Amino acid sequence: MAEVRLVDIEKKYGNFLAVPKQSLTIHDGEFLVLLGPSGCGKTTTMRMIAGLEDITSGDIMIKGERVNDKPPKDRDIAMVFQNYGLYPHMTVRQNIEYPLKLRGMSKVDRKARVQETAEKVELDALLERRPSELSGGQRQRVALARAIVRTPSIFLMDEPLSNLDAKLRVTMRAELKHLHHELGVTTVYVTHDQMEAMTLATRVAVMRDGKIVQLDTPKKIYAEPADLFVAGFIGSPSMNLIDGAVQSGVFRADGVELPVDLAGCKGVVLGIRPEELDITEDAGAAISGKLYALELTGESTLVTLRNGPSSVCARGHADFEAEINSPCHLAPKDGARIHLFDRATGERLR
Amino acid sequence: MRKTLAYLGERALLALISFVVLFPIAWMFLTAFKQPRDAYSLSLIFEPTVQNFVTVFSEPWNLGSMVLNSVIVATVTVAIAVPCAALAAYSFSRFRVKGRKFLFFLILSTQFIPAVVIVLPFFLMFRQLDLLDTRIALIIVNLAIVTPFVIWMIKGFIDAIPTDSEEAAMIDGASRLRVIKDIVMPMAAPGIMTSSIFCFILTWNEFLFALILSRRDAVTLPVGLVSFRTERGDLWELMSAAGVMITVPIFIMALFIQKHFTRGMTAGAVK
Repeated sequence: MAEVRLVDIEKKYGNFLAVPKQSLTIHDGEFLVLLGPSGCGKTTTMRMIAGLEDITSGDIMIKGERVNDKPPKDRDIAMVFQNYGLYPHMTVRQNIEYPLKLRGMSKVDRKARVQETAEKVELDALLERRPSELSGGQRQRVALARAIVRTPSIFLMDEPLSNLDAKLRVTMRAELKHLHHELGVTTVYVTHDQMEAMTLATRVAVMRDGKIVQLDTPKKIYAEPADLFVAGFIGSPSMNLIDGAVQSGVFRADGVELPVDLAGCKGVVLGIRPEELDITEDAGAAISGKLYALELTGESTLVTLRNGPSSVCARGHADFEAEINSPCHLAPKDGARIHLFDRATGERLR
Repeated sequence: MRKTLAYLGERALLALISFVVLFPIAWMFLTAFKQPRDAYSLSLIFEPTVQNFVTVFSEPWNLGSMVLNSVIVATVTVAIAVPCAALAAYSFSRFRVKGRKFLFFLILSTQFIPAVVIVLPFFLMFRQLDLLDTRIALIIVNLAIVTPFVIWMIKGFIDAIPTDSEEAAMIDGASRLRVIKDIVMPMAAPGIMTSSIFCFILTWNEFLFALILSRRDAVTLPVGLVSFRTERGDLWELMSAAGVMITVPIFIMALFIQKHFTRGMTAGAVK
């Protein structure tokens, strides 16, 4: 049972508060993603779990045991670093073997274990090479193999895919997912890529300014973002956020008139995802404006229309065609989720 | 035309500089193989002899014991200074201790003190300890001279090593000392090698302290050279032969580790 509990942990660098006091429980076998923009404290949080960074106050519990004062080597964790952190003077075999060697495993057992792990990540043909002779993806796999070779209680992964090209990233993502399924080890994963978070996570903790602003399943975070920040951060293309006001149950902004489930409120931001909007010929539709841009993505076309300062994006059929600057109308699909946020506080109203 | 002139000028300047640098060395090598009567002539045609080398190794010059002294003093100094300096450099590079910068400056500032200022205190100290004219005294003095310099040099190399691999090793199960041994030192090896050579050369060539602190038993090669200034005048052919004995080991060492040397130099230069 490898549960990780962060109890009121806080991290300060001098006077700078990097991670304000907060708690978090990572369940056994869970794949928890810490997601947020750069500098939001997600890597610091992970490094505190690893023991690479001291905590200013609070407790870190791993498998029910307080590990605040334990060095990284005694926490039974394995970590994959953004820059891989390989040992350049050792061969791939020696890299993977190193954690086993430190634990005093016999040479014969080590050899078998390295072979088995290398096969798992398809590195068995490259065991005698040095990291400098490998491609980015292969290096990443060495880092991964080194982490899994001794079956730790917890995996920590710090943006492990960010140095790979887009195509390789997708492949490795699937490999990570498969590996987690196969090994079932509690994993904490740091990323700023919301796609990685959505595809990999059991739960996502969205972080901002060191604080977790929402902790939930990817599905829930996508469907019910806790505030404006999460709404804008999750989804690609991101959610349309339109500034306006609600009067007698109708949201109004330039070119937008939409009945909503709220009596009245000034300073409201309405959010609706591009895939929940339909392009229509109906001049009386909820959202109207001039066609600003058309972007074909392959499976669909992103249609952006503009009205005054606000622009709204909808995902239309791949065959959709129209003249730029021609009038264009959008209507929410049946059952579309319409989100309302308080402009001043960013909090979700409905 | 201008380009050609500039090129020729550049070559001429380089030739001049090379001449100025290499002439004394070439003169020394040639003189070492000359008869005493040819020593003052610049002629390249002479009857070569190895008699000078035979002479310097026999009584009363006894260069053999000086070679031994130099080898022991330089080797032991490097063997102690480099590991200590490597550990100190690692600490300066990695640990955020209060007053770290001041302490580092303090260590470096010892290099600003002119040797003549401290030679007398050293003399008195070793006289008190009854260590005058011993290799131990020379080793201690040389350690004091080279260690700060080597700390500063190695720190530059360790600074350039990313901490990721170290942290990975710590998570893999290594203690701090094990990390230094298994990860940091192999990665800093070119730099450490370079520092060791510098350390060796500095000690090998050290003159002032060796002159003051040694008399008969612990005399090193540079000091031994002085003994060729006799009442019969300067014995240039013998001095050159001894000079060759001093420079050849350094030449050979430089040739062997040239690759490390340049790599180490640039690695340190970038960061």
